[in-house]
Order: sequence, then structure tokens, then C-alpha cells
Amino acid sequence: MSRTRISRKEALAWIAETFSEQPETLDEGTRRERIPAWDSLGVLALMAGLDEKFDIRISEKEIGALNSVGDILEVLKRHDALAPD
Amino acid sequence: MASLTTAAPRIAGIGTCVPRRVFDNLRDATGFGEVEVRKVTGMAGVARRHVVDGATCTTDLCFGAAGVLFEALRVDPATIDALVLVTQTPDYIMPSSSCLLQQRLGLSKECAAFDVGLGCSGYVYGLWLAASMLAAPGLRRVLLLNGETPTLYADPADRSVSLLFGDAGSATILEPGRDGGRWHFVLRTDGAGRRDLIIEAGGFRDRFCGESRKHFVAMNGSNVFNFTLDVIPPLIEDTLRLSGRSAADIDYFILHQSNQFIMKHLIRKVGLAPDRVPLILGEFGNAGGPSVPLTMTQGRLVRPERRPASLMLLGYGVGLSWGSALVDLAPDAVLCHTEWPLGAPGEGGGN
Repeated sequence: MSRTRISRKEALAWIAETFSEQPETLDEGTRRERIPAWDSLGVLALMAGLDEKFDIRISEKEIGALNSVGDILEVLKRHDALAPD
Repeated sequence: MASLTTAAPRIAGIGTCVPRRVFDNLRDATGFGEVEVRKVTGMAGVARRHVVDGATCTTDLCFGAAGVLFEALRVDPATIDALVLVTQTPDYIMPSSSCLLQQRLGLSKECAAFDVGLGCSGYVYGLWLAASMLAAPGLRRVLLLNGETPTLYADPADRSVSLLFGDAGSATILEPGRDGGRWHFVLRTDGAGRRDLIIEAGGFRDRFCGESRKHFVAMNGSNVFNFTLDVIPPLIEDTLRLSGRSAADIDYFILHQSNQFIMKHLIRKVGLAPDRVPLILGEFGNAGGPSVPLTMTQGRLVRPERRPASLMLLGYGVGLSWGSALVDLAPDAVLCHTEWPLGAPGEGGGN
């Protein structure tokens, strides 16, 4: 099955929507501590979104390594869901 | 491989019982701010839950469920030849709570009775046990009880569970089948996930642990999420393949009511019609294994009048343990419900 691929800009917008943030407030360096909705429930929303939109399942280990928006983009890149720049 | 087909027993009826006391998450939750409560309840889908008071245990809820069912069916307790109680919240470590209920329900001393220690998958496993027991001649009726009081093992300070659980008991009376039908079961286990839902203290590994938090359930939400998405789609597929049926042949998919967010994601992922997957979490919370029979009595099922309803029951969770039961519910099977303590006017109605 071919995976959905989106641009970096679209990915940032999607991450913002997942965490109920305005897209313009996030960039790759934004840490999770600065995103109020990125808590244990936010992680579930992220996992569901990755599964539904990209067919990506992330492990507990991968979840533990997510500390910034850039880390989420890396997950998308690693799973071939991020279109080349 | 535990993928099995048995002769179909007959479900004479199902009774359920919940505590009369209602906890409204938004109105009654203290310890969390309103915004936080709204977030959790919005995601989990639990607005209200029925919760036991300090004097009510699993056997009380199962007694209530059995009582309303006995009355609706006019069952003579002496005709119950076996009692199976599925629970992970027994009244005591010993004796088995099924023995307490044998006496309390006035069952014969010639009745077999035993507990089965399973949680969210428990009702499905219990049906398989009952069907297997009835496959050999000799038993007139099996009383399958499934009760849990998970609110008593939820840490009030842990928002991921303290606003989620509700308590419930159920009673199902099964008799040998008459029409040559078949039930189908797919039963699975993965003990590698034992720490994803665990109460570490109180058992014999650490009986008198001084850390109070270890006497409450600890849940790894992300692992439980992944587990559910990993196992339920193939479980449904395997059950349909075993039975030779298609999803269109199933009137209702009765899922263990775990968490609305996970359930709705699952429904979309598997492509189930939402009107075939009743959700009762909003009013009853996650009651563990009994949430399956509770959904059958409270899920407003529209049952066919001239043929049995075809139901796929799906239990999944602690263990990790999961399973399915593809069963038929005859038009004359009684479904009834009550609240504990008993005694209010107009209660115990059947449908």
C-alpha cells in the first residue's frame, strides 16, 4: 500500500492541528513542554493520527524519544511519509 | 490454536446490575481542574459512571443481576447445575466468590461453582467455558456471572483511570441448544504485555507492599492503544473466516467498552458501520469484562423478531488477553437490568 506523503509545511500544519495549536506558532525546534496539549492524551491523539492518516504505528520506544516537533517530522521521514523538499 | 467452534447453547437471558450511585465526571470530580476533566472525559467519552459505595462488592452486583434474571425467567435456582464467576475483583482472596454466590442465590449443593480470573476478555472466555460445559450432556443450566468493581482499584490521583471506570455485574443463563446451531470462538493471550495493565501489590509476589500506589492499577495507555489496534482487526477477520460469515451477516459488534477514542478509531479502521457498534461508555464508563453483557442490555439493540440476532462479542485487555465469541441471541431471550441496592419502585424491567 502506498503511504500518504505530505510536504514539511503540510506536516507542520497537521501537527499543529493534532495539538490544537495555530500552525504559525510551531516550528521544528518547538519542544513538547511548550505545547500544552502534548501530554499523555495528546500522545494518544498523535498515535491515532499517525495511524489514520499515514498508516504509521509507533512503538513505546519511539514515543519515548519524541520531545519536539522536529522529532515527529523525523518519524514521518523515517516512515517515508514526508515528501522531499 | 484456540479457534473453536462449539454446538450453540441457548442464551435464556442476560441480566445486568450497576450501582445506583452515579458519579458525574464534570460535576463530581475533585482533584482535577475543569479544563482537564473536560479533556479527559471528551477523549474517553465517559460523562457519568455508576460506582460502588464502600459496602458493595462484586458479588452484590452479580447477585442483583442474577436476581432480576431469575425473576424475569421464573427460574428455579435448583436447576442451575454450574455457576461460573468471571472476575478480577473478587470479594476475598479466598474462598472463591462463586461459592459465596452459590449460597446466596440458593443454588443446590450439587451445583459446580468456580471463579475464573480474567478481566476485559472475561465474558467471552466465560461464554466459551459455558458452551463447552453444555456440549456434554448432564447440565441443565449454566449460570455465567461476570462482575467487576474497577473503581476500587483506580488511583484517584491518576486521571487516565480515575475518570474512566464504572462498576457492573452480569448474569447469563445458558441451556443446551435446541436448533443445531454453532458458536465460534477465537481466544488469544500475550503475557509479554502483563505490565501494560497491572496491579503490582496485594497478590503473593508483594502482598503487604507499603507503597499505596502499587495497590492501584497502572496502565500504559500508548501500549494499550497499540495492542487494541494490533489485535482487534485480525480477531474480527479470524472469527468471520472461522464461521464462514461476512461482516454484513453480523447484526452487532459488541466491543468491550474500553475508551471511546480508541473504539471510534478502531471502528473507522476496520470499516464497521457505527450503528452496528453500540457505545454505552458515556453513561457507564469502562466496566471491564461486564461491559460486554451490559452493552447487550443497555445498548438499545434492535433485535430481529423472527430470527436470532447474530452478535460478535469482542473482549480485549488486561493480561494481555483477548477473544471473540460469535453467538446467536434468540428473539425470546430476555434482557433485563437493575440497580444496586435493590428496592426502588419500577426497577428490574425486562426488554
